[in-house]
Amino acid sequence: MTAILDEDLPSPGTVVTTEVYGQWAQVRLTADTVFLGVFPGGWRVVAAGCTPRGGDRPYDCVLQGG
Amino acid sequence: MRRFLRDNSLGLVFGVLFLIVLTGQAFAGHAQFDQQQLVEVLPPVSLGRYVTSASFGTDVAENWQSEYLQFFLYIFLTVWLLQKGSPESKSLDDVGLESDREQEVGPHATPDSPKWAAAGGWRTALFSNSLGLVMGLLFLGSWLAQSIAGVAAFNEEQLSDRQDPVTWGQYLMEPDFWNRTLQNWQSELLAVASMAVLAIFLRQRGSPQSKPVGAAHTATGVEG
Repeated sequence: MTAILDEDLPSPGTVVTTEVYGQWAQVRLTADTVFLGVFPGGWRVVAAGCTPRGGDRPYDCVLQGG
Repeated sequence: MRRFLRDNSLGLVFGVLFLIVLTGQAFAGHAQFDQQQLVEVLPPVSLGRYVTSASFGTDVAENWQSEYLQFFLYIFLTVWLLQKGSPESKSLDDVGLESDREQEVGPHATPDSPKWAAAGGWRTALFSNSLGLVMGLLFLGSWLAQSIAGVAAFNEEQLSDRQDPVTWGQYLMEPDFWNRTLQNWQSELLAVASMAVLAIFLRQRGSPQSKPVGAAHTATGVEG
């Protein structure tokens, strides 16, 4: 937990948009973008602190889960 | 019952084979989908969840649309295009829509003709093109289904790769949509061209798709 708090994650904000396709979701917050996946217990964040890199390149995320 | 099965065996056998193969595709696709889930460290999904997924939907629809496009083109283009020596072509003298007498429409309809063949006006015009039109509509419908299921499946991959999803309009410009579409179209066109030309020189005894075994290679529009 401390390790997560040590990461330079943006402060949480309000939800701007959500996109859900199959097993995956993208939630845009005012100051952050997070990606979620479906697991047996429900939705879990699999990537947080994500910023777009432009074009077709994937987001650059501070935290990536597996 | 035996008589019914015999008299309808072509449609029945192909219908049953279709269901068997579609079921096989569902199982194979489900296994592949779960392999990908493992790679992405996600739990496997049920077969029911898979067959209602966008991934399965687009895989099915992309093949359907190309088959219906093939029949649509074949039905309409063989009105005007010929292939000398091929049983797939009409006689070289019959290019075009042919006369009402030959087509048994309007006053030339027989007592056994369908009602709309005899009716005249828009009903005969519509019925005269109903086979091609329905194939064309089935093509457009399944191509639309491919694009709708395709954008959802594409966006699932986009999100798994931490990329932005695209709209339906943007998806129509994506290489994924056109690669899926064109790889099916090219195979259908090759199959039609092969059949039209090979049937000039090769025979299959008893098949209406072939000329009679002893028919001349130059005989056109003859079915055995």
